[in-house]
Amino acid sequence: MPSVRELRERLDRRLDPRAHRPLLPPRPTMAHLARRLLPDELFDRAMATTIRDDGHGYDPFGMHRGGVAMGLVVTRFLYERYFRVSSHGIEHIPPTGPVILAANHSGTLPLDAMMIWTDVVRRAAGGRVPRVVMDHFVPSLPWVSILFTGGGGFGGSRGNFHALLDAGELIIVFPEGTPGIGKPFSERYQLRPFREGFAELAIRHQVTVVPVGVVGAEEQWPQLTRIEGIHAFGAPYLPVPATPLPLPVHYHLWYGPPIPVAGRWRPEDAYDADAVGVLAGETQEAVAALLARGLAARAGVFR
Amino acid sequence: MSPGTRGVLVSGATTPLGVAVVTAILAAGKGPVIAVGLEAPAAVRGLLPEQAEYHQVDLLHARQMRQLLFGRVRAAGIQAVVHLAMHRRASDQGDHVHRLNVETTRQLLRLAEHHPSVRRFLLCSTSAVYLARHDTPDLVREDWSLDLSPQAPQWLRDRVEADITVCARMGLAPIHVNVLRLAEILAADMGSQLFDYLSSRVCLRPLGYDPILNLLSLEDAAAAWVLALDAPEQGVFNIPGADTLPLSRAIRLWGRDDVPVPGPLLGPLYALRRAVRRTDFQYAINQRRFHFNGVLDGRRAASVLGYRPLHALTWPCPDCRPTAASPGSGGHLGP
Repeated sequence: MPSVRELRERLDRRLDPRAHRPLLPPRPTMAHLARRLLPDELFDRAMATTIRDDGHGYDPFGMHRGGVAMGLVVTRFLYERYFRVSSHGIEHIPPTGPVILAANHSGTLPLDAMMIWTDVVRRAAGGRVPRVVMDHFVPSLPWVSILFTGGGGFGGSRGNFHALLDAGELIIVFPEGTPGIGKPFSERYQLRPFREGFAELAIRHQVTVVPVGVVGAEEQWPQLTRIEGIHAFGAPYLPVPATPLPLPVHYHLWYGPPIPVAGRWRPEDAYDADAVGVLAGETQEAVAALLARGLAARAGVFR
Repeated sequence: MSPGTRGVLVSGATTPLGVAVVTAILAAGKGPVIAVGLEAPAAVRGLLPEQAEYHQVDLLHARQMRQLLFGRVRAAGIQAVVHLAMHRRASDQGDHVHRLNVETTRQLLRLAEHHPSVRRFLLCSTSAVYLARHDTPDLVREDWSLDLSPQAPQWLRDRVEADITVCARMGLAPIHVNVLRLAEILAADMGSQLFDYLSSRVCLRPLGYDPILNLLSLEDAAAAWVLALDAPEQGVFNIPGADTLPLSRAIRLWGRDDVPVPGPLLGPLYALRRAVRRTDFQYAINQRRFHFNGVLDGRRAASVLGYRPLHALTWPCPDCRPTAASPGSGGHLGP
């Protein structure tokens, strides 16, 4: 009967690195792929982003610089050529500290989130990578979950919000939620009532809210209808768009002045429904004003 | 002389964690330590520090346990019980295993509550007790749901039951009760499912998924136990480790080949492996965490205990990063 020590030594021998060489060659990483597909300036920007590195280049949510670079690869054509994104007022985003970007939501698929994410990574000060809330079903999607989490996406649970805001991250939220992205073409630019969860979090964590008006996305992909009974991968419904691809509308992203929270409310006011309602209402008004300004300023849907 | 708790009984002391905890407690000046294990003293000679007093006790025998607690432990004025003993092999099932995992825990806690010198009871639990699913927060706090699924394997159900059994006495027992939920310790002889998984040359993982893992080193785990001996608050503490990385990278750093396979095939393939090679890894236990992120949120342990993970694991193949330079890449770029 071997002793515990002998068993331990036998197991330790199994850890001999010489016996542990992989047979297959290493697969190229996202960073390697992105290095070949991105211009130097964009790649260097991705590599200079600020992330919380927990020892192996990843944060606890799965974000890493290679994932950010790959996100820029995926969105580059859409951002530069297809939607030709114009950005206004990005200097309103503070370079450090927790921030909530609250935007209108539309367009059948969340391409508006991708464009805001790309715009902030490419243009905002401080090397910030916005964290995009993913619906609960997204982490169930193969490959999509890897790509999204690598670039900063996270599941929309309350615990994740708290942890990220505590860590001083920049979060993109769409307070209109699913009713916003699924709104009919005839009701474009008519904001759905803002949900108040983001306002409660902003007050609890004393976080600045930056309103964002996305002009263009509301016309990008008109929906004929949606099938409520089909929940592929847990999606709330199956959209039936009028065109096979999104229309090449011209995106305009308008960032508004920050709505301050610290000094107006205390963290415990997060339990005050009136305070939360006021902040949510102010944010909705600010987004609506940015949309009105953006619609008045643009030359046309595609220009 | 160190303030706080003095004198500790450590069950499961012959496991790697047990040895590390006993050693750390003695180094912190919180001895004497009474170490308890199932093995005969001759078999563990040299394994534990000489200052530790080793007793061969079968915890399944109530009389042996009682004699130890109200005999030697009482005489030594032991103030804390650190309960690390759990049946390690997931393949073993049945009433015998349940009795060790759950009934022994309950009995030991009950005896500790009535003990004249014991003031603290600390249970070693695991991150596996948390419910893992698509809407689980990436950073799991202590108040997240536990996996109470009746379909869960006994290995998991027992750990959840033992955890809840101890938690139920917090605030009711006349002693200070803590549960430490440890991230997985990737080491031999620890009952680590991941360690057994990585013992194959080829590691299959679900195609299209690469969840983030958090792994704990023995050094950090031992440090956490020493800090917990003087915990100012009762309750549960998550103990995360210093290694946060995706499954594919862990496989590579362990010197293994990472082969993605469609998820539905993994259960039958690993069942076959278990049957043929008598390994311990069960895909049913790990299925969800092989799909979804779940890293322990250690903020409570940091603020209350002052615990911070400082020691990364020693990987067998640190130069086997999946980021090895490829032609024209300009060298190592990171993940």
